[in-house]
Amino acid sequence: MALVSGKRIVSRAQGSSPANAFAVIENRLMAKVLLIEDDSETAEEITAELSDRGFEVEWSANGIEGLDKARSSRPDAMIVDRLLPGMDGLTVIEALRKDQVRTPVLVLSALGAVDDRVRGLRMGGDDYLTKPFAVVELVARVEALLRRPVESRETTLRVGPLELDLIERTAKRGDRAIDLLPREFRLLEYMMQRSDQLLTRAMLLEEVWNYKFVPATNLVDVHMGRLRHKVDGPDEAPMIHNVRGAGFILRSGS
Amino acid sequence: MRQPQFIRSNTFHWALMVAGVFAVFVIVLFGFIYWKIDDYLITRSDGVITVELDGIAGLSPQRRLEAIDEKLREDPRGVQLAAIFAADGHRITGNLESLPSHLQIDAPAQGTDIVRTDRGTRQHEVVRAIARRMRNGDVLVLGRNVDETMEISHVVGQALALGLLPGFCLCLLAGAWLSVRAQNRPVDEPFSRLAVIVNGMLDEMETMIHALAGVGNDIAHDLRTPLTRARLALERGRTNATTLVQLQTVADKAIAGIDQSLAIITALLRLAEIENSRRSAGFGSVPLHEMLREVCDIYEPIAENKNIALQVQVADRLNVRGDRDLLIEALANLVDNAIKFTPEGGRVDMELLRGKGEAIVRVTDTGYGISEQEREAVLRRFYRSDKIRNTPGVGLGLNLVAAIVKLHGFRLAIFPGQGCRVEISCPNPEDGSSGKIGPGKR
Repeated sequence: MALVSGKRIVSRAQGSSPANAFAVIENRLMAKVLLIEDDSETAEEITAELSDRGFEVEWSANGIEGLDKARSSRPDAMIVDRLLPGMDGLTVIEALRKDQVRTPVLVLSALGAVDDRVRGLRMGGDDYLTKPFAVVELVARVEALLRRPVESRETTLRVGPLELDLIERTAKRGDRAIDLLPREFRLLEYMMQRSDQLLTRAMLLEEVWNYKFVPATNLVDVHMGRLRHKVDGPDEAPMIHNVRGAGFILRSGS
Repeated sequence: MRQPQFIRSNTFHWALMVAGVFAVFVIVLFGFIYWKIDDYLITRSDGVITVELDGIAGLSPQRRLEAIDEKLREDPRGVQLAAIFAADGHRITGNLESLPSHLQIDAPAQGTDIVRTDRGTRQHEVVRAIARRMRNGDVLVLGRNVDETMEISHVVGQALALGLLPGFCLCLLAGAWLSVRAQNRPVDEPFSRLAVIVNGMLDEMETMIHALAGVGNDIAHDLRTPLTRARLALERGRTNATTLVQLQTVADKAIAGIDQSLAIITALLRLAEIENSRRSAGFGSVPLHEMLREVCDIYEPIAENKNIALQVQVADRLNVRGDRDLLIEALANLVDNAIKFTPEGGRVDMELLRGKGEAIVRVTDTGYGISEQEREAVLRRFYRSDKIRNTPGVGLGLNLVAAIVKLHGFRLAIFPGQGCRVEISCPNPEDGSSGKIGPGKR
């Protein structure tokens, strides 16, 4: 896992597996991302990583300039550092929201997340990432922001051969019924809403279990192992994939 | 040897000071009384000799001599002094050897040094005397021995001084009594309460200073281990790796080491964040019964994998005021620990009980348990029992729990023995009758 600290790049993912993980995400090509980050080294690394993944990245080093750019160039998503010269990150976002700009934002910060403003942020559909973070984590979260599931009135979710009935609370793979516990159902529902998308452990903990911290035990892997056991039968092509050092993907096709 | 407690006490020092000031006042007062009495007695004797002088001076020279002889004769105590000196200085009559050199003539009565002759020998005395030149040139001197006056003053002074000593002692005794009383004062008096608070604060500061000294070393040690591994891996990889795959393996190892160091730092920062936060304003009503079920739901598969029976028993639906996220984190940490330190085939129980005016969340396991000696230590940062030295973990879990519990004003109790029992007591729970059961929507 590659990690970016507040002021210095520790390392960067060059491994083949995370790169493969994103190969599927091609329909997002040339999505425009605005990065507001005052540390140029961090910004360079993030820019390079996102460009590799097919994003168009625009960079701004201070809050006021960043706000102008956000207003003029209308990016698809923004990555905003919390401590910025000129205007702090949360103020930039508040100013944008006042103008009815709904661009999803990922806030980066060395500050902890025990903060009510951050809670408000998460409720508004934006995301928050504490430094130091893994680059894979950052990219996965930007992806997630760009591909937020549309609120639909569909009562059945379908991904490949997998079918989830939200009313009956039943699951099927092809003709085979899958018997799921409530917690497994919730996990699968979340994954099916975000199929073909890398979901990191931290994202799953936050979104599925509403955990705001990283537990000592590798909870997610255990739960995922059980779900995978049920979803992927012994003679079926696996749908749930483990991306080493990053997280999990539910792939629709083979 | 240690001084008695009351002598070191502040109250006693105050009493001592007050006694000192009191003594100074008394000394000044007594001195004033002494001086006033002395002054009065001397003024009176001066008045007497001045009147006598006036009387004798008004007589004829012959009668003067007779009057003086008579006066000296009628003085059995020998306090009277009288003499007439001729203009040339030789004595005409009286009991003075010569005209005192310092005695001013025609001046008011004054203290002077004289030599008297009527006692058979020459005798020096300090007396009050007055002198006047007569019309025929003779000098009439009258005097009075004031030894008696001085004796009276002396007696008075002595009496006053004697009175001062018991007074001072009384002050000290009163001070000591007050101090002793202050020591045994019932605890609900404001000063005693303040003292208890200050003492508690000092104790906590001492513990913290000790903890701080130890924590620095512990952090350094815990950070160094994974970083050393990372460094070794990188060093060896740089020399030995010949293919990209080998290099990637090395990089993964190094990253794992760095991740572990970062996990320690993150845990420490989170701990500091919780310890410093004052977020009771954001507290809401947290249904404990639901919380227990949620945590159980999350940990059930982990317990199952380890063949441990994880069970929840909820006696009542109880809500407390608090931060849901933090409380879940605390409980999850306890359950995490319980599962981690319980061998396969054991059991972990989570219970919600109603105590006296409090809700008790209890986590019991059948693990190694915590010994009496280790009970305090487990709350220390980075403490890892020797028995579990090889289990992975950061060693900050219980610190986090303790910090969260403290933030909420709850109590954390660890019971030693076979297996381990940890309890969080939450005062003033509300009945959570409206709460729904089961894991809530996220």
